[in-house]
Amino acid sequence: MTISPALPVALPMLAAAAIAGVRRWLSRAVVDAVAILTAATNLVMCALLLTRSWDAPIVYWFGNWFPRGRMVLGVGFVIDPVGAGLATLAALLMLLALIYSSSAMESGDNHYQPLMLVFLAAMSGFVLTGDLFNLFVFFELMSTAAFALCGLKVEEPAPLQGAFNFAVTNTVGAFFTLTGLAFVYAATGALNMAQIGSLLGSRHDTLVIGGYLFLITGFLIKSAAVPFHFWLADAHAVSPTPVCVLFSGIMVELGLFAILRVTNTMFRASMGPPHTALRDVLLTVGAVSAVWGGAMCFAEHHLKRLLAFSTISHAGAMMMALAVNTPAAIAGWLVYLFAHAMAKSGLFFTAGILLHRLRTMSEPLLFARGTKLRFTAALWLLGGCALAGLPPFAISLGEELTSSATKHSDASVVLMAAFLLSGTLTAAAVFRVFMRVFCGWGDHGPADRSAEVDELPEMHEQNRVIPARMFVPALLCVLFGTVPFLLPQAVSWSGVAAARMLDQQAYIRVVYGQARSAVAQSSLAADVWSALLHSLLAVACGAALAAAAVFHKAVPRRLRWASHMEGSMVWMRSLQSGHAGDYVVWTMAGFSLLGTALFLLR
Amino acid sequence: MNSVIHTFPYLVAGWVFLCGLYGIVTSRHLVHMVVSMAVLQTSTYILLLNIGFRQSGAAPVFADLPPSTRIVDPIVQALMLTDIVVEATVVALVLAFVVKAHENAGTLSPDDLRMMRG
Repeated sequence: MTISPALPVALPMLAAAAIAGVRRWLSRAVVDAVAILTAATNLVMCALLLTRSWDAPIVYWFGNWFPRGRMVLGVGFVIDPVGAGLATLAALLMLLALIYSSSAMESGDNHYQPLMLVFLAAMSGFVLTGDLFNLFVFFELMSTAAFALCGLKVEEPAPLQGAFNFAVTNTVGAFFTLTGLAFVYAATGALNMAQIGSLLGSRHDTLVIGGYLFLITGFLIKSAAVPFHFWLADAHAVSPTPVCVLFSGIMVELGLFAILRVTNTMFRASMGPPHTALRDVLLTVGAVSAVWGGAMCFAEHHLKRLLAFSTISHAGAMMMALAVNTPAAIAGWLVYLFAHAMAKSGLFFTAGILLHRLRTMSEPLLFARGTKLRFTAALWLLGGCALAGLPPFAISLGEELTSSATKHSDASVVLMAAFLLSGTLTAAAVFRVFMRVFCGWGDHGPADRSAEVDELPEMHEQNRVIPARMFVPALLCVLFGTVPFLLPQAVSWSGVAAARMLDQQAYIRVVYGQARSAVAQSSLAADVWSALLHSLLAVACGAALAAAAVFHKAVPRRLRWASHMEGSMVWMRSLQSGHAGDYVVWTMAGFSLLGTALFLLR
Repeated sequence: MNSVIHTFPYLVAGWVFLCGLYGIVTSRHLVHMVVSMAVLQTSTYILLLNIGFRQSGAAPVFADLPPSTRIVDPIVQALMLTDIVVEATVVALVLAFVVKAHENAGTLSPDDLRMMRG
């Protein structure tokens, strides 16, 4: 049986419309069942598409508008392994999130399930499409569903602030992207990405660079690169837990995917080697994000915001893999992306369980109150180890693959240092919470403004034991995070997927229905021992930093920089002002810097 | 003279883009901020229409025109229409947030809504 490639988009849309239309007459259980069933069907369909796209990308023209000669007439989906893989991951996370929230999460008239399904449809369309304008429309649809999901709890002022800032910054980003799209259309007169790629060739003039700059600015905002990242912490802190999982696990990463897609399918010959400007710029942005996000993560005391800053840090690390942009680096990016999605989702689910049991997300208020929650504590600790990449969690495998692509070049030092700092700082923050909340060590630590923001509980039921629908998704996430390490083929599979992603000419040939390229082989292998060594170093440094912050009274007064990092980085924190206008100023500053760099280094 | 006529709409698009950004950045009222966003969006209409413009081109409706007639590009107009629809949704949604902010927090100033800082 062959599946229409349009189904992963059409099915959730139809289900969402059906639920929204008749939910008044349905019980909550039926609505949940339909939503979960839809997500599960999407998961199976996307997995089947992934296996089918392995030999050659699947090309599907809507309404059978096939290209005529070199002219593309219709809108098409072009499904390659990376796109199909990300669609599968999106469906998996959606399934876990819906199971987590089933039957208990208060949704009322908020249309939670239909919004989630529209979100899923938009994400699937976003990764499967081969048309630039289609990409933009799915980008906007994804954003709109995300804004509504973020502001689900409209009765409180904090979610309104978070959703409003999220909506304004990301919509401004969408206008940047649309302007870039207009430039690209002006340069080529085409909207199909393969056609644009073949028409642009190695053209490297002002219009092309400007178009590229405007296009990726919107995606950089979505992928929370410093200094475009301010919205993310506000949006995460106020979203319901299952929505946080989707934001951190897949939506931010789709911003990175869009940069990868745009760069490789359309601009590979015009912006890629021999021009090094793009590589240097993305490497810098990634490294700064990795360190900045890590430092802010360690300074934060609201659990969801802490995890949000860790997402900024890890997205920066993934950005560096995009900058290197060789098959090995992109294979590393894929492994890293999957492992990070699982680790971060597991941590968010665990934070959700804490919120459910203890009714707050503030670290000072939670102090020593989790000592009896052994199972939750274990999940949280494992999540921290996964963030640092301790085998068998696979983040370090991705880092190893990425840095192996830059051996013997000056970039490798930057990569290594940023990976280590990102892993150390984010793991240290998670370990610190573990020590204070679950072990009750030290004191309750410094408080900050954001940690005082109260959150109403998401669930109305109160139970003594954690219900299975809450801990099973958390446990599954932690387990899935080890798959790339334990499955020997995972690395070579990501190698094949990456090689396909980077082969612009093969992509163009497939879209025009010409000779199918032979199946790429990959002999990629990661140095497991080196990965183990690096992750052990990160875990050790993280644990030491966390201990130094928790037991700060035992540290000599002059050496108390761990507690300084935790409590007094006022100038860095003051930038996170909570005003959408300020965030847009930072967007403009980042855009100007990026543009200056791309044009000066051309 | 001709080149002035051709570059002028691009300058207008750039000007409107900057006006929208300026409005968002300096805004002290949530509704004002959303309207500034709509202004920013208008610049993309001007840009798109201008890219598809052709000197003395007819409207792209072939009901009473011979197929070889010189027309302006219909694709950018379709893009613009789609963009209007998408952005109308976004603006409606954000305005709904603003209404809720007014109802629940009793304020329309972005400064009073800042629960989370630092």
